[in-house]
Amino acid sequence: MRNLLHDMNPSVKFGVVTVSMLAVAFFFNPWTPLLFWVSVLALQIALSRINWKIWLLFMLPFTLGAFGYLWTTVIFSAETGGTVIWSFAGLDVTDAQWTTALSLSFRVMAFSTLSLMFAFTTDPVKFIMSLMQQLKLSPKLAYGIMVGYQFLPVMKDEFIQIQQAHRLRGADTEKHWWQRLFSMRRVIIPMLAGAVRKAERSAFAMEARGFTGEARTAFYRPVQVGRTDFLLAGVFMLLLVGSCVGGVILSAP
Amino acid sequence: MLKSWKLKEIVLMSLFGVVFGIVYLLFIHLGNIWAGVIGPIAYEWMFGIWFIVSIISMYIIRKPGAALLPESMAAVIEVMLGNAVGPRLILSGIIQGLGAEAAFAATRYKHFNLFVLMLAGIGAAVFSFIYGYFVSGYAALDPSFVALMFTLRVLSGAIIAGVGGKYIADALLATGSLRGYAISRTDKGDARA
Repeated sequence: MRNLLHDMNPSVKFGVVTVSMLAVAFFFNPWTPLLFWVSVLALQIALSRINWKIWLLFMLPFTLGAFGYLWTTVIFSAETGGTVIWSFAGLDVTDAQWTTALSLSFRVMAFSTLSLMFAFTTDPVKFIMSLMQQLKLSPKLAYGIMVGYQFLPVMKDEFIQIQQAHRLRGADTEKHWWQRLFSMRRVIIPMLAGAVRKAERSAFAMEARGFTGEARTAFYRPVQVGRTDFLLAGVFMLLLVGSCVGGVILSAP
Repeated sequence: MLKSWKLKEIVLMSLFGVVFGIVYLLFIHLGNIWAGVIGPIAYEWMFGIWFIVSIISMYIIRKPGAALLPESMAAVIEVMLGNAVGPRLILSGIIQGLGAEAAFAATRYKHFNLFVLMLAGIGAAVFSFIYGYFVSGYAALDPSFVALMFTLRVLSGAIIAGVGGKYIADALLATGSLRGYAISRTDKGDARA
């Protein structure tokens, strides 16, 4: 049971997540995103094995962002009608504003939870393989992305190396974060130059080993779509429709 | 569309996607913390950062698709790295890429001067704003506030993505590592060894 979400076909999962997000974006009542958020969370607790400590760490900045949404929407809401529920520092907050503000904040929370569900239960390599096999992504692009992905640790080493080289030559160390932001150029140009050279070398190596980038039908590691994928997609859609309908009913005056 | 592409150009876009994917994620987190204080407008002035890979790649490779593909690839890599914005990043990446691509297509992929690059930044800003208007529910906000957000985003697209992108690509050209790409061939300047 607890590996169902991990084993779900990445392309199907990707489709489900995208459709859910686009659908929830149509609703401006607070209940729909709240219901959907809670149900996705419940599903994730039941059907996956993830490290919830790391999950919380990832959620933290988005919770802050949701809070920002809450108060900006209260102040800059398009709707100013409705009855005033409370006043604060000369600012009247009406129930209509409060409802939209809550809705947009819950939306941020629901979207982040849904995204983290995808991120925590999907193997990146399998995701690309599935995009190539199920969604007919061109192998040239798919393997191009894979090359980039596999270079990540190398890039990290290179980043440290460039920093060390700067320090070795006695480049100024920045005290403030904005100085560090502007000195990003010193790091990013060598990084990109390195990327260009790596791209050339690896493309040459791939072609030398007979990679043509032609579309193919047989794969070394096939990624399949099975019955459980349809079942899980069905469960998600049910939750989505349930949240939408439930939200509209609950928010009806 | 991919037939005329060399593999090294595709891998180049992907590696740029990795470098900028990390930069993009960094700024998403920065923006989120910032947004906790001043709300969604926090992202607007720095939105151009998220369009920059389109402009740099197109300026270097100069082929149809060189704006759309790297932005989408960067988005896929961001998703592979794992983050809380998630798969819809791919959608926004495609939309931003299309916006930049539209500007280059409108000039028939013939001119790559600063003006066109800034136009591409603006194109990406406009496209992404229309998408954001829908997904983030800007419709619920005060129209004048939305207008301010839009103006900031367009300016950011033109300046950070357009001017900044050209600046980075030119600096990269000066390192001499871009021999073998369209940017070195069509550049009037002397041979850069």
